[in-house]
Amino acid sequence: MIGGYRGKEGQWAFVLHRISGLAILLYLLLHILSIGSIAISRDAYEAVHAVESHWLFSMGLVFVTAGVLYHALNGLRIIFMDFAGWGVKIQRELFYVVLVISAIGGILTGVLTLMRVLAEHGG
Amino acid sequence: MIRAKRFEDAKAQATGNAELFWWVFMRVSGIVLMFLVLGHIYMTFISVPESQSASYETIVTKLQQPVWKLYDWLIMVLAGLHGVNGARYVMEDYLPNKSTRFWVKAIFYTIVGVIFVWGTIGLYTFKPEL
Repeated sequence: MIGGYRGKEGQWAFVLHRISGLAILLYLLLHILSIGSIAISRDAYEAVHAVESHWLFSMGLVFVTAGVLYHALNGLRIIFMDFAGWGVKIQRELFYVVLVISAIGGILTGVLTLMRVLAEHGG
Repeated sequence: MIRAKRFEDAKAQATGNAELFWWVFMRVSGIVLMFLVLGHIYMTFISVPESQSASYETIVTKLQQPVWKLYDWLIMVLAGLHGVNGARYVMEDYLPNKSTRFWVKAIFYTIVGVIFVWGTIGLYTFKPEL
């Protein structure tokens, strides 16, 4: 699919939608697996949580958030294309709007998370 | 898999009612998930200090209210179905061999099923230890 790229925005939107979707699904499954340890015992949960509290994981969550933002907004773009003629007409412009909002949201989340992590670990 | 751009086309293209159902489901669940997931991210990682985020006490306090249990369970089920159906589209696109596709799907659905049961048990049977 990526090899068949012809330089059109729609194709990039499609590829990014699939990659972000699969990444979010993988995250969801790992998230359920790890947080489900709460059913075993408090100690089990806290052992898992101690690992996931590492600042690297917190920064990793910024990418999850940006991916979710992109997937959600591009999903809306798809719905506009499905149900309204104007959605098809401006799908290329909408793709750039989706990219810009996702990037802004990702950077904002990144800055917020960085400040939280620094406050926590005494920077 | 339906490649339609509009509901009428989707209806015409659908090979069966199930396929049309999933086409509609992806759109409806997508809109609901937008609010559920972005709300979940905001409540867990933006509006709570780092030290409290996902700490045992925070989670137990939250899950003592049935409405948050339902919220989390709804996210899990909707995102799960939405994600698994998305993965099915991907598998149908990239695995042309019928028997390979069958086995990959069977193993994938089994793993996801087990994880879902695990998550549901975690959500509904844990005893708070405070």
